[in-house]
Amino acid sequence: MGGVEDDEPASKRVKLACGELKGNPNGSLLSEPSVGSSRDLMARLLQSEDDEEVIGSKGVIKKVEFVQIIVKALYSLGYKKSGAHLEEESGIPLHSSAVNMFMNQILDGNWGGSVVTLRSIGLKDESTIKSASFLILEQKFFELLDAEKVMDALKTLRTEIAPLCASSNQLRELSSSLVSLSQGPSVGSSNQANLRAKSRPKLLQELQELLPPTVMVPERRLEQLVEQALTLQRDACVFHNSLDREMSLYTDHQCGRDQIPSKTLQILEAHSDEVWFLKFSHNGKYLASSSNDRSAIIWEVSANGDVSLKHKLSGHHKPVSSVSWSSDDHKLLTCGVEESVRCWDVASGECLHVYEKAGVGLVSCGWSPDGKWIFSGVNDRSISVWGLDGKEIECWKGQRTLRISDLEITSDGKEIMSISKETAILILDREAKSERVIEEDQTITSFSLSRDNRYLLVNLVGQEIHLWNIDGDINLVAKYKGHKRTRFVIKSCFGGSEQAFIASGSEDSQVYIWHRGSGELIGTLPGHSGSVNCVSWNPVNPHMLASASDDGTIRIWGLNSHLQQQKKQQQVHSNGGSIAAACNGRT
Amino acid sequence: MGRLFVVELDGRCYRCRFCDTPLALADDVISRTFNCRQGRAYMFSNVVNVTVGMAEERVMLSGTHTVEDVFCCRCGEILGWTYVAAHDKNQKYKEGKFVLERWRIAEEVMEELSLDGGRGGSSDPDNS
Repeated sequence: MGGVEDDEPASKRVKLACGELKGNPNGSLLSEPSVGSSRDLMARLLQSEDDEEVIGSKGVIKKVEFVQIIVKALYSLGYKKSGAHLEEESGIPLHSSAVNMFMNQILDGNWGGSVVTLRSIGLKDESTIKSASFLILEQKFFELLDAEKVMDALKTLRTEIAPLCASSNQLRELSSSLVSLSQGPSVGSSNQANLRAKSRPKLLQELQELLPPTVMVPERRLEQLVEQALTLQRDACVFHNSLDREMSLYTDHQCGRDQIPSKTLQILEAHSDEVWFLKFSHNGKYLASSSNDRSAIIWEVSANGDVSLKHKLSGHHKPVSSVSWSSDDHKLLTCGVEESVRCWDVASGECLHVYEKAGVGLVSCGWSPDGKWIFSGVNDRSISVWGLDGKEIECWKGQRTLRISDLEITSDGKEIMSISKETAILILDREAKSERVIEEDQTITSFSLSRDNRYLLVNLVGQEIHLWNIDGDINLVAKYKGHKRTRFVIKSCFGGSEQAFIASGSEDSQVYIWHRGSGELIGTLPGHSGSVNCVSWNPVNPHMLASASDDGTIRIWGLNSHLQQQKKQQQVHSNGGSIAAACNGRT
Repeated sequence: MGRLFVVELDGRCYRCRFCDTPLALADDVISRTFNCRQGRAYMFSNVVNVTVGMAEERVMLSGTHTVEDVFCCRCGEILGWTYVAAHDKNQKYKEGKFVLERWRIAEEVMEELSLDGGRGGSSDPDNS
């Protein structure tokens, strides 16, 4: 690919006349310039030859552009000598001479000259020229003010800037700074002055952004292109579940399946009946589960990933259908089916309050993000809001929620979601008192909200899971299939690094995992001996997943490598522990 | 069993006689003149809270049809059947509809029903 093949040192080369210079098959320009005039030669040449010299296996990269962004990258890395040398050696200058002159004029403060040069740079768009001229003259205006040359500034404003002003607002703003300067005392004038006129390099940067990239190569363009490529690789990697820091430029990024939790690390057996729901706390240190045995359990997740029982929460007289963690993870709400909602203190396991309403039963629960209010769906289809003391503050009547519905609140407290009709989810905006609706074509069984509040994962009666975008316009984004659901409420969730995965329970006793972006089913985890009703992915540990099943157990799933470590540790212990375990704790 | 998903029905509806799960709206009745071995059966345009069994070919008085048995999702009692495919073009209207046996479902409005269900004699050729 391109490049000067000659061994002759630069100084010996002869400066060739314009007409004789033609690209040889390698496309390199043979003459080596001394600064200045030969650069002009080069510039003219580049424009006159229809030289769409391309490099790269696909033939889409223009050589001139490629070299220019490399030169630019060298300069921004601070390698001025290398940058200049590359310009010389390749014969491809970073900027045309006109642009160089322009840049120098800006830095020198030669405003008049720069405005003139602006016209000869080769801009086609009249409005760009106008905006750039405006920026330059504005700088001139402010610098004159700083130097307290008020009369000159005024003259500039009247004669040069005024004809360029797109709106009278701009003119007014500039005039007001003129006025305030002459009025205000010049206290610490140099300090004040620095607040007015920006630095010249900054002006240059702003102009660079304004001018088209063909005239001035944008800053950091090479870095941007590389980042795009890395992002594409990461998005294409279906198993990607690790930190981006680990991406290398040497090879294309491709994770193996080993980054997805796939092995049972622990089986938790403290419930005496079916486990219907579970959820990790926001900080990933606790797990709460609820069961048909009318209790809920708070589990503690240790630093090395071991889960142990912390508190058993008894008191409900009905099966507990769901739990909700407060934003600070200090309190937990539990909901008995068509009964009451109880608030528990996580540290002590004490029941702090019981929320109930005469004559009706509560069906769902959720915290406001500030922890001051509790929301609950009621089996008369309304939604109630309670203060912590138990006093009902508000009640939204009408068809707001169904008996079987989940309740979700966005992390900014603005919107509340519940299933209001068989085939629709209601999104209530509390402040604006407005409503939006997601309409499905089948009966909805459950749903969950993504951490960034922008997506809803909706489980349908017909064994499909739909992903809806609710940020701005509501639209269906993806569908996930493969799991089994015929009779029960099966819940699914977002999870993994950047919530790039979808996990769901299934009536065939397996956990299902899909890649969120592509919709591809990437894992089915057998192990449970009953329907898996609910799954929760640890928000802080992308390699830990928990599942709740009709077999009365909870399984903690992790990576295969963790399982191997676990086995080694167990072997060591059974051997009397004489050899210190070489493996450290799990992440 | 797990947390059962049950659809609520608004308005007069028919429920499972054994566990009271709502099954179909009275408004969704298409015909009250079907018959089964135990007696009368109703045809509905839509039912909820049911599961279906394996599809099989069954010879009925009206011809051969592909049907699936229909069960209550809560107690598992067999309630009736649904037509998947009818081989006779005159019977095509039955496809996708559900037939629930009268003595297995209870109407919301209290009505004294006799347990033997059947009222003899059928004027309708449909017999399973």
